[in-house]
Amino acid sequence: MSNILIIGAGLAGLVAGWQAAASSTRRVRILSKGWGATHWHSGCIDVLGYYPLSNEQPVEVPLERLRLLIANEPHHPYALTGLEKIAEALTALQTLCQAAAYPLHGSLEQNWLIPTAAGALRPTCLAPQTMSAGDGRSTAPMLIVGFADTVDFYPHLIAANLTQQGIPAQGLLLEMPALQARHFNYPMTLARLMEQSDFRAEMVQRLKKQLAASPALDKAERLGFPAVLGLDNAAAIHQELEEKLGRRVFEIPGLPPSVAGIRLHHILLKAIRQAGGEVYDGLEVVRAECADDRLMQVVTENAGRPRPHRADQFVLATGGILGGGIVTDYAGRGREVVFNLPITLPHSRLDWFKQDFLDPGGHPIYQSGIRVNHIFQPVNGENQPIYPNLYAAGTTLAHAEAIRERSFEGIALTTGYTVGQLVISNYLAQGGNRGQPH
Amino acid sequence: MRTMQTEVLVIGGGATGAGVGQDLALRGFQCVLVEKRDLTHGTTGRYHGLLHSGGRYVVKDPKAAEECIEENRILRRIMPHCLEDTGGFFVATPWDDPAFGDKFMAGCQATGVPCEEISIAQMLREEPLLNPQISRCFRVPDGSADSFLATQCVGESARLHGAHILTYHEVKHLLRQGDKVIGAVCHDLVHDEDVTIYADMTVNASGAWAGQIAGTIGVEVRVMAGKGTMVAINHRVLNTVVNRCKMPADGDIIVPIHTVAVIGTTDVRVPDPEHFAIEPWEVQHMLDEGEKLIPGLKNMRMLRAWAGVRPLYQETAVADTRDVTRAYTLLDHEKRDGVSGFITITGGKWTTYRQMAQVTVDRVCEKLNTQRECRTAEEVLPHLPGFEPHHQYHTLGARLARAEAEKGFGELICECELATKQDVERAIVQGQAKTIDDVRRDVRLGMGPCQGGFCTLRVAGMWHSLKQTPVETTNVTLRDFLQERWKGLMPVLWGSQLKQERLDELIYLSVLNVDHLPGEKASRLGPKMYEPGTEMTQPHG
Ligand SMILES: Cc1cc2nc3c(=O)[nH]c(=O)nc-3n(C[C@H](O)[C@H](O)[C@H](O)COP(=O)(O)OP(=O)(O)OC[C@H]3O[C@@H](n4cnc5c(N)ncnc54)[C@H](O)[C@@H]3O)c2cc1C
Repeated sequence: MSNILIIGAGLAGLVAGWQAAASSTRRVRILSKGWGATHWHSGCIDVLGYYPLSNEQPVEVPLERLRLLIANEPHHPYALTGLEKIAEALTALQTLCQAAAYPLHGSLEQNWLIPTAAGALRPTCLAPQTMSAGDGRSTAPMLIVGFADTVDFYPHLIAANLTQQGIPAQGLLLEMPALQARHFNYPMTLARLMEQSDFRAEMVQRLKKQLAASPALDKAERLGFPAVLGLDNAAAIHQELEEKLGRRVFEIPGLPPSVAGIRLHHILLKAIRQAGGEVYDGLEVVRAECADDRLMQVVTENAGRPRPHRADQFVLATGGILGGGIVTDYAGRGREVVFNLPITLPHSRLDWFKQDFLDPGGHPIYQSGIRVNHIFQPVNGENQPIYPNLYAAGTTLAHAEAIRERSFEGIALTTGYTVGQLVISNYLAQGGNRGQPH
Repeated sequence: MRTMQTEVLVIGGGATGAGVGQDLALRGFQCVLVEKRDLTHGTTGRYHGLLHSGGRYVVKDPKAAEECIEENRILRRIMPHCLEDTGGFFVATPWDDPAFGDKFMAGCQATGVPCEEISIAQMLREEPLLNPQISRCFRVPDGSADSFLATQCVGESARLHGAHILTYHEVKHLLRQGDKVIGAVCHDLVHDEDVTIYADMTVNASGAWAGQIAGTIGVEVRVMAGKGTMVAINHRVLNTVVNRCKMPADGDIIVPIHTVAVIGTTDVRVPDPEHFAIEPWEVQHMLDEGEKLIPGLKNMRMLRAWAGVRPLYQETAVADTRDVTRAYTLLDHEKRDGVSGFITITGGKWTTYRQMAQVTVDRVCEKLNTQRECRTAEEVLPHLPGFEPHHQYHTLGARLARAEAEKGFGELICECELATKQDVERAIVQGQAKTIDDVRRDVRLGMGPCQGGFCTLRVAGMWHSLKQTPVETTNVTLRDFLQERWKGLMPVLWGSQLKQERLDELIYLSVLNVDHLPGEKASRLGPKMYEPGTEMTQPHG
């Protein structure tokens, strides 16, 4: 029996679990089918990158545009959390990461412009220290360094695009014997190699040789690498590289799996466990059972038999269509998989998509999700909470185009944060202090 | 304006045009082939993938069945590496008249299509997912065919024998001098310039576009476009081609090809070969019919849908001098319209492309007063440069075996279809790819479950280094390819594939921000989209 049971271990579920566990002595448990989008995303916290969506220019001051968004879109998850909670959540995550020796820099006062593995500049609110030197608002010349015998990172493409956007940049492919000898060189293997000091020493030595041999390359004031500079010791590794190479070093996010995202995932897991929370993956929640309109337990599909998990309060953070919390079928039907909650969905499958993949307004289907009230309780058509002890957080919430807005991590973080606190305070207010502390 | 001179100009780079080009080259004619996009851009690249045994036609159209089995045997000899020897079943489901099976058997005997009835138990041993309620099953020598590869190989053979193949050259109009066609004016889409090609003889092998081409000199060739939609299932749920044993109709064949299985098709008349939709009812219809063959198919993950157009030739005059078999149409415009130097070949099937090319070039010989033997039935097709020659059928594990033998699996650019860095480099450099979509047709890149999710960025990276063009062209090429994949995804996006596509959005928009890279949003070499679907238009009668 848990007091608080959270379904989903993406950014929203983890943050909710962390907040709930940290702010009380109640028993908090997270159940998840697998890990979430932390393994795919950039490793930054995007809060608002483009708004209004038709505007091609990136948002410079997220705070200003958030005000506009909240005024325009009262149902948007950010309108439900409110500006204060957004700021608070960002600060809380920064504090946590700072303590984990992996600082995240930034604030709602300005967006970074972080180079991507395609050579575009992505507006983002919080960037890890390992990325911030790449900021595209500075025009200090760059050298983009990739590795031969890998397939995910193309320094010359990145450099050409950056140059085109006014940041002088060159590309270089480093040959590393350790990579030549291996068959698979995917981001995680690179990150693990980077954790080894002899690999780094060899890389520094080879890179220095190249820099010394070419005045053109040597002009670079900052060095960009794929975002694989270590896994759990990234900030230290980053600092060591800056010292040894004598220039600023930055990471560039690219194709999944996302090493930088996994770092955040690790930090959150640790925080939850330290606060007494529990996280279980490999448990797919398939249905729920209730009594007197109150949720009593959820059921996971396990090897051999279904297993019930009782709790007082439930938080749904299963990530919508991308996370698998909402499934759709050929007939144009959609379903929330655990509680069978009503979801918003365009009327006909014909209205799900726009003709252009990159349509700035996004495809209507992806705005479908769960409607909640001001305290994040899923509601029915009459705006009444469906269960008194159920909350929802993250990108499963309706009324946002998180990818077009570049608010993907921001929505997960801020709603997870808000709900993690709300669920505890409401629980205590409902007499939850009678529940047994662990 | 550039000009060129040749003996024979071939219009259209589908199976038929490439076949005509190869046949001409083998018979020693000087020839230029023009195709408005890449080879197989037309129906040949959007067909069902079936190497017909002829079984489908034994009752309805015995002549076509005979042509199919004859060509089936020849193609197995000259291009085994482009074929999979899957064999085929004709099965009577509870929705089909079991008595048709007897007519079917008799038809096979009459047309020489080898056929054997097997037990349902045997059928289920070979294909356990088939509907156990099937009452009869006949085995025939159907196969599946990679028309991209086959047409590339035919084109390569043509090149080796001296033909010039000009892709991304669109015929704007034929050149007519009095009663004679003397060539055509083309537009080179890559360089955005016109090219005039003079020829003694012009062969119109533009499939469903044949009427448009002839129309440019006022010759009426009425070709209706019959659209067929197909849906690829994400898994290879069968290893055998399975046909319903009944008169040919919609959604009655499933073809296993490479890593997928394809269900098709519909047949709907559309006003012209460029503008048509994949209608929701068509996709639904394929799922409903597929369900009869494989219970549970509806809930499987669908990969992609596409549609191609059959050229449906219609007689325009009673006195039409038409060299017919029922299967295809050869129009001698000198006899028919009094315009010399011009012939049209259209209709037919992929399976009979070689025979169509042969009769066409026979006619060219006649017109040019020369007698030269056709050799295409004996000439084993070359392999593409860089590929190990082998004279066996293609099998599913072949690509993996090659990647393993070459230790190339660490250099996979497209993990879904096992395309390596070398493959892609070859397609870009030797293959002279003009778009990433050209690379796809060469090496099957981006054709698997993630539909370009991971490989698109990788190819763009390689493209930039290999092509050395301004980076904006790479950016637009990348965006064009994302849009090209989107085109065939939209009709089947639900369930897992919708989730997958959202991941692709996360990668390309959120992580990479490619929608804000410098350069144009789309180029003139980008995909032509299917028209937006209209609400539930009903199937024809
Ligand atoms: C839905 C469907 C499924 C099919 N399935 C099968 C099957 O399973 N097995 C089988 O054997 N057959 C099948 N067929 C038939 C087969 O695909 C066609 O008969 C064959 O591909 C036709 O080839 P083609 O070269 O004549 O035409 P196309 O492949 O259409 O070639 C014509 C070419 O001309 C080009 N062109 C057009 N206008 C111009 C211009 N102005 N300038 C330059 N070029 C131009 C086009 O771009 C095109 O590439 C199917 C057909 C359809 C529609």
